[in-house]
This record gives sequence, structure tokens and C-alpha cells, in this order.
Amino acid sequence: MTLFSSTGRRRFLLGLSGIAVFLTLTFQIPPAQASTFEDEARDFVSKLADKAIRDLTDKTVPRSKRIMRFREFFNTHFAVSGIGKWILGRHWRKASEVEREEYLSLFEDLMVVSYVDRFAAYAGEPLKIIKTLAVDDTNATVFSEIHQNEGAPPVRVNWRVARKDAMYKIVDVVVEGTSMSNTLRSDFGSIIRQRGNKVSGLIEALREKTATLRAKGS
Amino acid sequence: MNVNALTNKFYSMPRAGLVVLLLSVMTLSGCATAPDASDPEAVAEHNEINDPIEPTNRAIFSVNQGLDRALLKPVARTYKDMAPEKLRLGIHNVINNLRTPVIFFNDVLQGDLDHALITLIRFLINSTAGIFGINDTAADLGIEFRNEDFGQTLAAWNIPEGPYIMLPVFGPSNPRDAVGRVVDFLIDPLNMWAANSGNDWVPPSETAADAVDFRARHYDTIEDLERSSLDFYAAVRSLYRQRRTDEINNGTVEPGTSVPSIGQFFDDEEHTDDDTDEVSQAN
Repeated sequence: MTLFSSTGRRRFLLGLSGIAVFLTLTFQIPPAQASTFEDEARDFVSKLADKAIRDLTDKTVPRSKRIMRFREFFNTHFAVSGIGKWILGRHWRKASEVEREEYLSLFEDLMVVSYVDRFAAYAGEPLKIIKTLAVDDTNATVFSEIHQNEGAPPVRVNWRVARKDAMYKIVDVVVEGTSMSNTLRSDFGSIIRQRGNKVSGLIEALREKTATLRAKGS
Repeated sequence: MNVNALTNKFYSMPRAGLVVLLLSVMTLSGCATAPDASDPEAVAEHNEINDPIEPTNRAIFSVNQGLDRALLKPVARTYKDMAPEKLRLGIHNVINNLRTPVIFFNDVLQGDLDHALITLIRFLINSTAGIFGINDTAADLGIEFRNEDFGQTLAAWNIPEGPYIMLPVFGPSNPRDAVGRVVDFLIDPLNMWAANSGNDWVPPSETAADAVDFRARHYDTIEDLERSSLDFYAAVRSLYRQRRTDEINNGTVEPGTSVPSIGQFFDDEEHTDDDTDEVSQAN
């Protein structure tokens, strides 16, 4: 077949355009800033995981001290009030200033008392970061795997990281496709609906829950 | 223990559940309260939750929790405490290996011939080098397990999931996944063989083994969730949907969570309207 028969020419042109597409894809270098952001997000998660394993998984430390450490860790590395507001969604607007404050403080308490013992039960397996993808200029997802037991498949954990200037915070943790923030939103939303669509109803439930958890754990 | 007695006991469980289901349908109004029609956000939330028979579902959920506490949980606890980790992992691998035909059929039905081949290769490796599926040798070689079922196949065919349903004994589901369960049972050659060879104990034993394996592997996670959630039912509903979405997307796509804007996360000042307008898809 000659190069200039009609099918041959079409194939030749197709080939050319294929090369063009290939070149465009290969040489499209991502903007320098985006890659830096991804690197920084990855480092942030990696350091945070090391710190958690170092400071929060030691069972010999008394629980009250572990609670203190966890609260500090949580407030430093997680966008606590931001997550709390997002969970409440439309109900945040209806809430009074006093309610908002009490809700955020109880939300923080709930997270601390329900996660402090889970960290203590953690056997300190290393976190393996797979990749990092910037969603936009301020949001990135860090994909990681946690190897629990030898032979068992690793657990997929994705960290949603947000930044403002030089400050990085976790906004969500997604384990095997299940988002912590999303689950809490459904959980809290259901309580609000059951208690007359009022944030005060949720606050009441949170008060009861945190009190029970605090008592049980000691 | 007498195998027949076990089988009868197993088969009577769904029937008992059915009676409870009928009773609760009769006694409860059975319908979730409708939202305020003048509030578009409340209506959107209601549609998103998509749980029209919530009171009935909750009644079934509490019966299931009772069954769990009385039967499954103690069995899973004993299994977890008594059987060494290696043995439990081996049993889990055997269960996964026995699922191969169902996974393979669904790969084909989804038009995913690449994964059908992977499923086949995994089966060949694990049944031989992995000694009857006890070791997941294929995973060690980088060919990892991925479950497929007819519920996922229907999703791949763009069939909507329908409303949330709590099945007696079997737990969280929806019409799409409930149909999927039945089809998977019918297309499983293992069940066909069992029916034709008079080995009727096989299917319920497999189901029971699967249930104990699942409960034992997720023992702490389930306990933690029940302990720390305000509304365990709502949390389970949300997690079930998120997990299924993840399985349907084969773990490659993030679940339908909106990534909330940055301002919301760092701004402790007045919350603006656009921040709350982002609504998550999963419940």
C-alpha cells in the first residue's frame, strides 16, 4: 500500500495527530506551584502520621494525659470548627451564637473521647503514602495505605488536606471510601430531624453522649 | 452439632424476620415524615436520605441488632479470641476464592473482560500455589482481590439503587442490591452443585461462615461506631451507601463528598450562605 492511497493518507494523518496528542500530553508540565502544593500536602500528612504514632499510641501514658495530647493534636492538625460547621450545614445558620459555641465545643469533645482510645489500640503500623492529587489551589487529597496485619490487604485511607497561606489542616479522612465528615453529617442530621429540627436537640444528645463516653473510658 | 438442625435453624431465621417485618409494617405507620414543602433545602435533604419506610427499617434494624447480640456477635467474638490470626486469614481467603465464579460472571456482565481475566488468574494461582485458596498468593504477587456482585453490575448498567431498605437478618440494602443478592445466589455454581448433589447444607454454611468472618474482621470498627455515634442507624445507612459507591467505582473515584471551600475551614467568623449550600450526596 502506498503512503498516498486514501486509506494510507488517512492513517498517516491519524498517526501525525496521534504524535501531536502524545507530545502535548508529555510536555504539558504542571504548574510549578501545584506540584509544590502537592509535595507540601504529602509532607504534612506524613509528619502528622509520624507524630500520631509517636505521641498518641503509647498505652502506658495515663488516659487523662492521652486525652490532653489528642485534643491538642486534633486542634492543631484538623480544621475542627470548619468540619463542625460543614456537618451542621443549613442548621448552622439557624443556630444562635451561644448554640454554635456550645455545639463546636461538644463536637470537639466527642471526637476526642471517641478517638483517643482507638489511637491507643493502634499497633503503630506504618503509613504508606501512595500519591497526592491537588483538587484545586487550596485543596488536595493524599492517598495512603495502612498495613494492619501481615497477609491481610492494606486499608485505603485518603486524607483531604486544605491550606490557607502556609497553614495546612485536615478537613476529612476517607477510609475505604467512607468519609468521616460525611458520616457525621448524616448522624448529626438525623438527630436534628428527630428532635424538632432544632440544633438545641443535637446539643442535648451530644452532651449525653460525651458524658457516657467520658465515664466509660476511664 | 446435628447439621440438619443447624440448617433448619438457619432457614427459620429469615422467616422469623419476615414475621417481624410484617408485624412492624402493620403496627407502624411505616412512612417517614414528609419535609416542609416550602423549604427547598429540607426537601433536598429528604430526597437525599431516600428512606421512605424509615420507621419500619428502624424496627427491623433493632431486631437485627438483637440477633447480632444474641448470636453473631458472641460467635464472632469467640472465633476472634480462639482462632489464631493466620487461621482466620486463611479461612477468609478460602471464602474469597470460593466467590470466584460469581465475581467472574459479574466481570463479564459488566463488560470488564480485563478484570475477568484477573479474576481467573487469581483463582488459578490461589487454588494451586495458594493451596485451595488458603493463601492469597496472587495478592502477594500484586494481583489483589476485588469483589464484584450483581448489585454492582446493575449499577454499572445505570439502574438506580432505589430507596434504602433494612433487610431482616441480612441488614442494610436497597432494591438493586437485594435483587443482586438473589441473582448472585442463583448464578453461583457452588450452590447449583450443592442443590444437585443433595448437599443442602453448603449454601447456608457458606453464608454463615461469611457472616462470622465479616463480623470478626470488623469487630472493633462496629463496636467503636456503635459506641460513638449519636444515631447508629443513620450512621450505618450513610456508611453502607458510601461503601457501595466505592465498590461500584472500584475504589478509584472518591465518594460524592463535595470538597467544602477553604474559607469555611479557616474562617471562624460569620458563616456565609454559599458555604452551606454544598450538599453531600451520600447519606
